Amino acid sequence: MQATKDSFYVALRDRLVAVDPNRTVTLDGATRPAIAVVENEPPNDAPPLCDTFYLQWGNAKLAAPSGNGLMAMECSIAYCTKGTAQNASLDRGRDLASLDNDLLAICAPPQTAKYDYSSGSPVALGSTIFWTAPVLNAAKSGPRYVGREVTITVFFYPEVNQS
Amino acid sequence: MSQDQLGRIRGHECAARRFSDALLRSLGNTQVTLRFANPSSGDTSSQLGLEAPAAQDLQISPALIKTLEPAADGKRRIEVVLGATTLEPIAKLYNVEDIAAWLRTFEGVVRGDQLMRIAKVNVDKVFGTACLFRLTATE
Repeated sequence: MQATKDSFYVALRDRLVAVDPNRTVTLDGATRPAIAVVENEPPNDAPPLCDTFYLQWGNAKLAAPSGNGLMAMECSIAYCTKGTAQNASLDRGRDLASLDNDLLAICAPPQTAKYDYSSGSPVALGSTIFWTAPVLNAAKSGPRYVGREVTITVFFYPEVNQS
Repeated sequence: MSQDQLGRIRGHECAARRFSDALLRSLGNTQVTLRFANPSSGDTSSQLGLEAPAAQDLQISPALIKTLEPAADGKRRIEVVLGATTLEPIAKLYNVEDIAAWLRTFEGVVRGDQLMRIAKVNVDKVFGTACLFRLTATE
């Protein structure tokens, strides 16, 4: 399961670098592509950063009751923006659309090879993971921010001897 | 001349900051240890949670540590009060401008062999100038 989570994140991250190389963020003092997995970040009280995709893993279950071993795991991707100061934040809707476009772009094609990253360097596991088209839920507007949560179901076969 | 024409007497906020420092010293003059992580390497291993950045302990004095009511789930809570005049020179060393935001990224408050997570940071201001930083930490 961990290999699926890691492979999905790395695939989206690498695609984001290709699609929108300027979409970066400084997290924990390091500048990196603006995508992060919540459970991999240090636990603290800092609010999520704007213009950054935050992946959060949810339920996992057998994809079909009959069971050929295929598993389905929910992933939500949350992001928000406050627009730009030059435009007095009036462009936050446009910025959200730009984030939507980036997300749709990095989710296609909806598959990637599965790797084991537990040793620090990727080891090919000889299988792939694949996922559903992203569902863009209704945008949520706050006084200063507008954001959205996107849900995706990722399918994978659990590896023997893999956590 | 009315009070409005005179305006606020300059330096009022400095007096409040000095008063805050005096209060912290008179209420125990305790030392507190805050732990924060060094900048991450930013490589794939750190992004996947495989490699934790090294942590540093900052010992800060004067500080005031108050025991708060336990949280709803029974976990211990404390409040750490620190003076702005103490934190500002430290923050300057790390090129930090927004001290409250910086404190929120800390790993926690070290109490004996326990690390208590910082759940909330409040700033008390007088005339727009930060005087006290109040950190609520939980088990």
